[in-house]
Amino acid sequence: MNSFQWANAATVEDAVKLLKPTDPKADVDQQPMPMGGGQDLLTSLKAYIVKPPRVVNLKTIQGMDKIEADGKGGLKLGALVVLSTLEEHPEVRAKYPGLAEAAFSIATPQIRNLGTVGGNLCQRPRCWYFRLENYNCRKKGGDECFAKGGENKYNAIFGGGKSNYVHPSDLAPMLIALDATVTIAGPDGKRTMPLGEFFILPATNVRRENVLKEGEIVTEIQIPAAPSPRSTYLKFKERDSLDFAMSAVAAAIDLAPDKTVRQARLVLGGVGTIPWRVPAAEAFLVGKKLSDEVNSQAAKIALDGAKPMEQNEYKIPLTQALVRRALAKLNA
Amino acid sequence: MPDKPQDPAALPSSRWSRRTFLKGVGVAAVSAETMLAESTKAVEPSPPGADALNTPIEGPVKVTLNVNDQARAVTVEPRTTLLSALRDRLDPPITGAKLVCNEATCGGCTVLLDGKPVFGCSVLACDAVGKKVTTVEGLGTPDKMNAVQKAFVEKDAMMCGFCTPGFVTTISALLAKNPNPTEEQVREACRGNFCRCGTYPHVFAAAQAAAQANRK
Amino acid sequence: MAKKTVKVPKIVDGVPVGEVEIQVDDNGGPSWGANDKHRLLNKPMIRVDGAAKATGTAIYTQDVRPKGMLFGRFLASPRAHAKVTKLDLEPAKKLAGVKAVLAVVNVGGEVRFEGEPVVAVAATTPEVAEDATRAIVVEFQDLPHVVKGAEALQPNAPQVVARPPRIQKQGDAEQTAKALESCDAVIEAQYTSPMLHHCCLETHSITADFNGKDTATVYASTQGTFTIPGDSARELGLPQNKVTSIVQNMGGGFGSKFGIGIAGQWACRLAKEVGAPVKMALTRREEFLAAGNGPGSIQKFKAGASKDGKLVAVMATQYALPGIGNSNLAGQPYQYKAEHTYREAQAVHTNEDASVAMRAPGHPQASFAMESLMDELAYKIGMDPVEFRKKNVQDAAWHRQLDRGAKEIGWENRNKTPGEGKGNLRRGMGCGIGAWGGGGNAQCQVDVTIGKDGSVIAAVGSQDLGTGTRTYIRAIVAEELGLEMNDVVEHIGSSKLGNANASGGSTTAASLSPAVKDAAYNARVEMAKRVAPLLGAQADGVVFDQGRVMGNGKSLPWKQACAALPEAGLTAHGKWQPNLSSSGVHGASFAEVEVDIETGHVRVVKMCHVQDCGLPLNRTALHSQINGGMIQSMGMALYEGRVMDSDLGVMVNPGLGDYKIPGTLEIPEMIPIIDDGDDRQAVIGMAEGANVPGVGAVCNAVYNACGVRVRDLPITPDKILSGIIAMQKRMT
Repeated sequence: MNSFQWANAATVEDAVKLLKPTDPKADVDQQPMPMGGGQDLLTSLKAYIVKPPRVVNLKTIQGMDKIEADGKGGLKLGALVVLSTLEEHPEVRAKYPGLAEAAFSIATPQIRNLGTVGGNLCQRPRCWYFRLENYNCRKKGGDECFAKGGENKYNAIFGGGKSNYVHPSDLAPMLIALDATVTIAGPDGKRTMPLGEFFILPATNVRRENVLKEGEIVTEIQIPAAPSPRSTYLKFKERDSLDFAMSAVAAAIDLAPDKTVRQARLVLGGVGTIPWRVPAAEAFLVGKKLSDEVNSQAAKIALDGAKPMEQNEYKIPLTQALVRRALAKLNA
Repeated sequence: MPDKPQDPAALPSSRWSRRTFLKGVGVAAVSAETMLAESTKAVEPSPPGADALNTPIEGPVKVTLNVNDQARAVTVEPRTTLLSALRDRLDPPITGAKLVCNEATCGGCTVLLDGKPVFGCSVLACDAVGKKVTTVEGLGTPDKMNAVQKAFVEKDAMMCGFCTPGFVTTISALLAKNPNPTEEQVREACRGNFCRCGTYPHVFAAAQAAAQANRK
Repeated sequence: MAKKTVKVPKIVDGVPVGEVEIQVDDNGGPSWGANDKHRLLNKPMIRVDGAAKATGTAIYTQDVRPKGMLFGRFLASPRAHAKVTKLDLEPAKKLAGVKAVLAVVNVGGEVRFEGEPVVAVAATTPEVAEDATRAIVVEFQDLPHVVKGAEALQPNAPQVVARPPRIQKQGDAEQTAKALESCDAVIEAQYTSPMLHHCCLETHSITADFNGKDTATVYASTQGTFTIPGDSARELGLPQNKVTSIVQNMGGGFGSKFGIGIAGQWACRLAKEVGAPVKMALTRREEFLAAGNGPGSIQKFKAGASKDGKLVAVMATQYALPGIGNSNLAGQPYQYKAEHTYREAQAVHTNEDASVAMRAPGHPQASFAMESLMDELAYKIGMDPVEFRKKNVQDAAWHRQLDRGAKEIGWENRNKTPGEGKGNLRRGMGCGIGAWGGGGNAQCQVDVTIGKDGSVIAAVGSQDLGTGTRTYIRAIVAEELGLEMNDVVEHIGSSKLGNANASGGSTTAASLSPAVKDAAYNARVEMAKRVAPLLGAQADGVVFDQGRVMGNGKSLPWKQACAALPEAGLTAHGKWQPNLSSSGVHGASFAEVEVDIETGHVRVVKMCHVQDCGLPLNRTALHSQINGGMIQSMGMALYEGRVMDSDLGVMVNPGLGDYKIPGTLEIPEMIPIIDDGDDRQAVIGMAEGANVPGVGAVCNAVYNACGVRVRDLPITPDKILSGIIAMQKRMT
């Protein structure tokens, strides 16, 4: 780790001030950085892929670690809610079982005891090349994506090109499937947007995975009332004990009394540079009753347009299987 | 926004198409030499302390950690991990928690922070100020082991023993929360603890035995 | 030597109550006696250092921090093969807290693999040491590299080592080729396995406690206490008799920790430079890149069998992939007998760190390939794979073990046709066999001292890697002297104590336990002489049992008997006795797996390993070792492997997150079985035997479950899915 200043923020406004770039000309990965649980930031610091002059501790901000009802049947998650709280929360488990599953699937209990919702959404990619200290890939400001033509078994089949990492968050696909919104605070105040718009493609800005600018932090996630508790997160790991997703499917559906699909939201994890929502598959499902045949077709549609690299074509049948299983599970 | 690529340090070009450049080496100014030895009795941190609000601190800073119910003064840098503070800076050191992967993976450094298992390698010492830190030494001593430690001995849940403190700490926390875990719950709780000698089956047996002993 | 049965008083609460029969050594030297007649040995035992390890009070090398100790660090090469063209150490030297900066490779020198140390630094804190390595200015001129075995085999590949390849040839190529023509079934296949890593949880570490004076203590994480002082002394510029090495506990070696290594070499050099203690503990990344590894392998076969299950001809080409080092694979057809065999073997070099011994060096690779091949042949001729194996190994031990393992795993329930069954989850079973030496040697020198107060010390410089050395030392002495475990204390892990061999090749138990037994025997004989007059007995009629010394119908409590000793007590010396150890162990592994044919996920459901080892010293520790062997072999089969980027020449997964060893959720139901059919009354090491056959067993179980034969380790979901898709395409 490089040497940095440590600052405990008292309020969101203080955090924003403390995060103001000390040297606006410095590289994007050498700006002051916020820390929630620190579980991803510390690994990035240790690998020298980020070198902030200052780390701003957000955990000293009161009240940002609460799960609260929004009064309209939905929930508000403070950005500092730790993952173990999320996975055990009775209301989350009852209303949004997929979200509890997604939280439980993350890393290890030790990490979930510190890692936060905000941190999970803002974590950096795990691409092997991105994490190599001495090799400056395009995502770190270099001029090549080494995964292309390299060891790309775990890399993206959607949304790649300039860079081909996969977005590592497990919460993000599920929250997007639950139609969540995110509130961001920054020098210009607060703004709220659909979580699906929070994440950006490498084509938009290869150095960043989301819309956050310097000095901005995530403060809250809002999940609207779910029409039904039919949601699930299926995560496939190469090593069950501890792994990032080789592929994952977040699904939330609403069924009419006769089990016709009224609404469906499907978001793929572990396969795209952003959580990969598949609107065509969602649209296909609406108005149909789920069956092996329908699920298979939806799975095929969901993977339309995938662009596998040399070593990751397997992600297509794998993800299709997960989509089929998620739908079958939600229909039960 | 400042988003322009760094100038890579130029190196001779090569025939390898994907070969690119080393990131520039060099480190910003480094803090003054730090003191290692500190007394074990509690001392007042000199302001601004690591827990001060809205006041950036840098360089060596004196903090007081609450480790195994003792106030331990130690000088750290903001970047010093809790694990390193315990092992490399406290005098005398507390070495039960081990440095193994240094990337929040293996569980060898597991300690309890306010009773919950966390990776000591992935908590900054400054961030542990004001919290209760418990290491494996705080759970029991050879003469007065807790139920988990006793069960580890009885079931031979160790070989080289380097992962043992982490497993003992994780399972002790599990039993405090869930006195009657299934083997599946033990495995889930220890998902972040890795052993290379392959002692897992005996660890699972020890967890069950400890739970049973606690129930008596 | 034989045992004899003698009658001694039975003592209950210190009072003689009737008589019991016990076995003691017949005169003329120590012997173990019948394996099932021991009082302490061959029973489950509690590890004597268990409490220290469970409470965090066991001190490992990395836990040692002498006063004024500096933290060592390397600047490791980021390049696979390059010449150092510029090296400026000054920026590092200027940093506050930096005490020494030493070039490992000078300008003009070459690095030959990523991770090779270029500069070593010592500083007052780990953070400053790390800053120093990054303050150094170093530039490289790249040279051609090759980092994958298959690419190194191509014509015109960069030559990594100067020496020309040495090709070993064994057998008759022509006859083997001819025999293949007459075979009923022939398999032609190539099996590959990646470079592996030991993943010792404690990285290679040495703390050189040296203050510029005339002595030094070197704390080492090593498999050989006595492999440390010589090289340390040389680096420190001291005579060897002024350097003591200490190995109280060590966090895993698996073959990779002999000698001082780069960590020790530079800990000593830095300590000498500064005149202060230095700890050099490799970072996890350096541990992967520069602390040794297990070689990868490419093995090509053409092999044939007859319809009645005879392995007729085996042609094998074996390439070991040991980086810049040297390594051999165990020769094919491994443990099997074929009428005709021809084998060519050579090492193929890459710009990677040199391979070193790794738990049964060269055997898991050879076993994986041969067991896969045997399986393929068995299916091709339509024979039960267990029967096919039994037809091609002679040793009765394997027949016994295969039968036992088949029973434990439920072999009769396996898929008769690979891949059969309904649904997504398909179960299957596989098996394999292995062998190891495990014999002893004459290096150990043990002293057993009985104090006038009755306390007993067994002393030898040997080390306990976690195998339970301390525990069996105590047990052997206690059993010999009629005492309990807690009556004996063992002193080990110091070069100031009696010499001992390094723990490699599973040789420790077979080397050390005979010497301990000999010392304890000699102590008993000497003690008998002293106590005999008190009892009015002949020395050879004195018996030690139940904490008492008995003879002539009388008995004395142990402590009372010891009071007869002189002030200094009694010290007896012991050395290795050939009759107390033997060599050659056998093992058989079985695995049951469940394959998800839609995702390629493999879950090992159950594993069983049957292992012989002569006299089992401690059944609990043996079970631990057998479990460990199974888990490591499962790791090799399904998860582990170094991944290199061809162009960059670097390892892309040098961490425990990306190099995947099995964790809690990967562990199946495990059945470790000590093969008590082995009646050799001699100690044989078995640890390495236990991690050989499981690799093939798991691979074969995957095939039996889903019908996909993956010949390239590890068997990851992507490979299974590709296989299933290819199979489905063939069927439609």
